Amino acid sequence: MRESRLMLIQYVTAAAAVVLVALHLLLQGVLVPYETAISFGTVLASYRSIFSILFLEVLLVVVLVHGFNGVRIILQELRQTLAWGRWVDLGTVLAIVISVGYGTRTILLAVLVGPSA
Amino acid sequence: MKDFTLAVQRFDPSTDQKPSLDEFPVLFREGMTVLDAILQARDYADHSIALRYSCRQASCGSCGMKINGRPRLACYTQIAELKSERVVVQPMDNFPIIRDLVTDLSGFFEMHSALLPRILRSDESEMENPTAEYLMSPEQLDRIHQFTYCIKCGLCTSSCPTVGTDSDFPGPQALAQAYRYTMDVRDEGGAERFQLLDTQHGVFRCHYAGSCSAVCPKGVDPALGIQLLKRHVMSARPPRAKGEGAKVWKKEP
Repeated sequence: MRESRLMLIQYVTAAAAVVLVALHLLLQGVLVPYETAISFGTVLASYRSIFSILFLEVLLVVVLVHGFNGVRIILQELRQTLAWGRWVDLGTVLAIVISVGYGTRTILLAVLVGPSA
Repeated sequence: MKDFTLAVQRFDPSTDQKPSLDEFPVLFREGMTVLDAILQARDYADHSIALRYSCRQASCGSCGMKINGRPRLACYTQIAELKSERVVVQPMDNFPIIRDLVTDLSGFFEMHSALLPRILRSDESEMENPTAEYLMSPEQLDRIHQFTYCIKCGLCTSSCPTVGTDSDFPGPQALAQAYRYTMDVRDEGGAERFQLLDTQHGVFRCHYAGSCSAVCPKGVDPALGIQLLKRHVMSARPPRAKGEGAKVWKKEP
């Protein structure tokens, strides 16, 4: 993929992360008191709402893509060989896929096999 | 201002293990520049000080060096403005040292040349044997005017943190000139330049430290040009493709 496309993804995910993380923090301690937000019932309820599930999944993808792509940019500057660039790109894709997969698995476990309310 | 001490970094890569500073007392006179001070030290104290200079009026860009830690032109820096009793001159960072204050700029010029810093057009016959003039409006000139002041002194590149870590990064001078020619309404080579810029070590490795613009002795703002260039590369459409080039017209002979 062209570098400009990767950087566009980086900028879009940065803007999205600002909104999503702000919203997440608002719901985890500002609009909803922190003790309530982390109570068993509230957490369980969040995994019963399709909007909440989608919000968590999108937040997961946006933050991980932005974070790992950022690390890729830093690593690209360490060495200037073609092989290094390819390994860094490959490692970044793997890291994103594995991390998003593991995070999605956690969400699905809570949704599908978690205790009923 | 009274007489001061000039500390010159000495280093010959063929014989020395590491650089050292030699100090010379210099007689101050009104209007004295750092270049004048170095030449005084060379003429009266040590003939072996190596430096590069030519025009003495900030036009040729030859005497770029680090003066009291900041990249500057020696001929354009007054001793009085430094407000220091000890003036330290060192070669520019990010360039190999040939000797003392002289750095190797060949890689810098190769980067500049690689990004096609010239008007590229398909009608070569018209350029070789012109039948009319390509005109440019004052507004169109305004967008690139400041970038035409670049004297290729290398100060911006020596101050760039990305150049320090990424040897394949073209640097602010080359990128600003790529912007200057891409935005020239007479140019048709934007797409070709974008191919060279849209790479892992291309224009997007600029993290906008802004030090290039802070040190430019000609008032050029390379950081601005690079950010604007990023926008055009991201849209993958050089200005001409958007129809701006259509404003180029030929004056009737």
